[in-house]
Amino acid sequence: MDAVGGLLTGFGVILTPENLYLCFLGSLIGTLVGVLPGVGPLAALALLLPITFTLTPVGGMVMLASIFYGAMYGGSTTSILLNIPGEAASVVTCFDGHQMAKQGRAGAALGIAAIGSFVAGTLGVIVMTFFAPAIAAVAIRFGPPENFALMVLGVICTLYMIGGSLVKGVLMVALGFLTAAIGIDVVNGRERFTFGSIDLSAGIELLAVVIGLFGVTEVLSNVERIVKSTVVTDRIRGLWPTLADWRASWRPMLRGSGLGFFLGLVPGGGPVTASFMSYALEKRISAHPERFGKGAIEGVAGPESANNAAVAGSIIPVLSLGIPGNPVTALLLGALVIQGIQPGPLFIAQRPDLFWGIVASMYVGNVFLLLLNLPLVGLWAQLLRIPYRVLFPIVLLLSVVGTYSANKNVFDLWVMLGFGLLGYVLHKLEYDLAPFVIALVLAPLLEQSLRQSLAMSPDGAMIFLQRPGTALMLTACAVLVALMFRRAKKS
Amino acid sequence: MFERALNIFWILLGGAAAAYAWTLGLVGPSVPDSGLFPFISALIVMGAGVVLLLRSPVEAAAPDFPRGAALARVLGVAAGLAFMAASIPYLGFAVAGFVTMIILLRAVEKSGWLFSIALAFISVVVVVWLFGQVLGMTLPRGPWGW
Repeated sequence: MDAVGGLLTGFGVILTPENLYLCFLGSLIGTLVGVLPGVGPLAALALLLPITFTLTPVGGMVMLASIFYGAMYGGSTTSILLNIPGEAASVVTCFDGHQMAKQGRAGAALGIAAIGSFVAGTLGVIVMTFFAPAIAAVAIRFGPPENFALMVLGVICTLYMIGGSLVKGVLMVALGFLTAAIGIDVVNGRERFTFGSIDLSAGIELLAVVIGLFGVTEVLSNVERIVKSTVVTDRIRGLWPTLADWRASWRPMLRGSGLGFFLGLVPGGGPVTASFMSYALEKRISAHPERFGKGAIEGVAGPESANNAAVAGSIIPVLSLGIPGNPVTALLLGALVIQGIQPGPLFIAQRPDLFWGIVASMYVGNVFLLLLNLPLVGLWAQLLRIPYRVLFPIVLLLSVVGTYSANKNVFDLWVMLGFGLLGYVLHKLEYDLAPFVIALVLAPLLEQSLRQSLAMSPDGAMIFLQRPGTALMLTACAVLVALMFRRAKKS
Repeated sequence: MFERALNIFWILLGGAAAAYAWTLGLVGPSVPDSGLFPFISALIVMGAGVVLLLRSPVEAAAPDFPRGAALARVLGVAAGLAFMAASIPYLGFAVAGFVTMIILLRAVEKSGWLFSIALAFISVVVVVWLFGQVLGMTLPRGPWGW
């Protein structure tokens, strides 16, 4: 099936009342999540994942994906109006977006953020339409050694992209692998690290870990300080950018789209890295870099485009290779696995309805989001009046429901609480939690590929060097490791 | 101090996990055995802990842990969640959730009684209705059947 034919199939799947409704609902929830500080897209996805158990796989994935990219749209609203980022990818939008709001240009900033998000989101999905099947066509020839090398490359890229201590990142990856080993070894049925506990023999539930690390940790980090919000109460006017705004913004939008898409593809990249890199790029190539931080519209257009394009980019490795590049896509992968679907090179051929349905829903979702974000921006600003003291007990209540509903097991609630406290402490000590989640999701496949590779090899570990694709990927790993050491030595 | 203790914990955890993984067997007749992957992971945890411990006097910044009222709020939320996890099997989700929300709103946020009860009641009813009735999920029930 070619890309255009596939896309038509996708539109056939998505253009049903039920799937359109779920796409709209996901876009709406995503915007809400992006607008409200203290509720990130990952925590929201984890909390709402159980709802998708009752939906069809297409409907569930359409809703989850639209929450992800919807949060990128909504995140700019609080950054511009309040100087408080709704989610991490909108941090840089604060720098110039809020300055524009203080200068009475909140409307133009919100307008260019929404339009930039729409342009980048749509461009990203267009590239994804043609790019993902091409990647899958190559990856379909992969055997266990190539899969192993690819996953190792994914983990190394994640480590390369993280900020902060490399050693802490490595420790988090190993801890993720170790946590994933708890339970029954699927190869020989032997129990590992269960110590006779029935609860542990089923393994550690991914949903409980993610809700703990990103939902509970976020609540604990927020309740320790009283956040008083000061909403911009003036009526927001002039959402449509002026001709001068357009002239200044169209190039940053295109550059942001390209950069964001590429960084989305790279494991460890994703929307947050994309927005920061785009801001740095725009500032560096600007003829007047001194305007940045003082209300330069390019500082809004570039990063907002980049974080949306990164969403499309980051979904490609999950669907076509089965490898998540960041915690959100790791959760999307987990959601598919829970539905009994294993994404990977065969995914597009085996489930064209699901793959193309998700792609088509992203075209539709971008239109929904533009409609939701431009005319309703005043409504979203009013939502910021909800105090956090009202919000956080409800988030915790939903965390409990979300965690419990996965296995109907109270033990998972203790796992959630334990990882919530661990995440809070590790966050304070500047550990990056993303490598842990990615390692936790990848570990079963990584271990299986390693064991299969060694079982089929007469020369042991040499198999990884004898196959050209594997050798190439492991060489890339070695180069990245060398670069990481060099960087660590310099700093 | 805290970071140093955590680094020692990583070393001990890695060492214990590696020792346990060793007992599972590292290499079987033809394929790696159950213990190999966790053994390697545990060694990395232990090694990273050692590196962090050796570096910590130079690199570790004083972590920004909360004190006083802020610490009480964090501990209050953790205690509220622990209460909910412990009481759900006996009280069911609705009652445990209602009580936990009141604890959080009263003890952590110092909200008024009326506000706390109203918000807790509405939130629990909406969540039970949405997840239990609309989405058909099974939520834990108390001895009174709900």
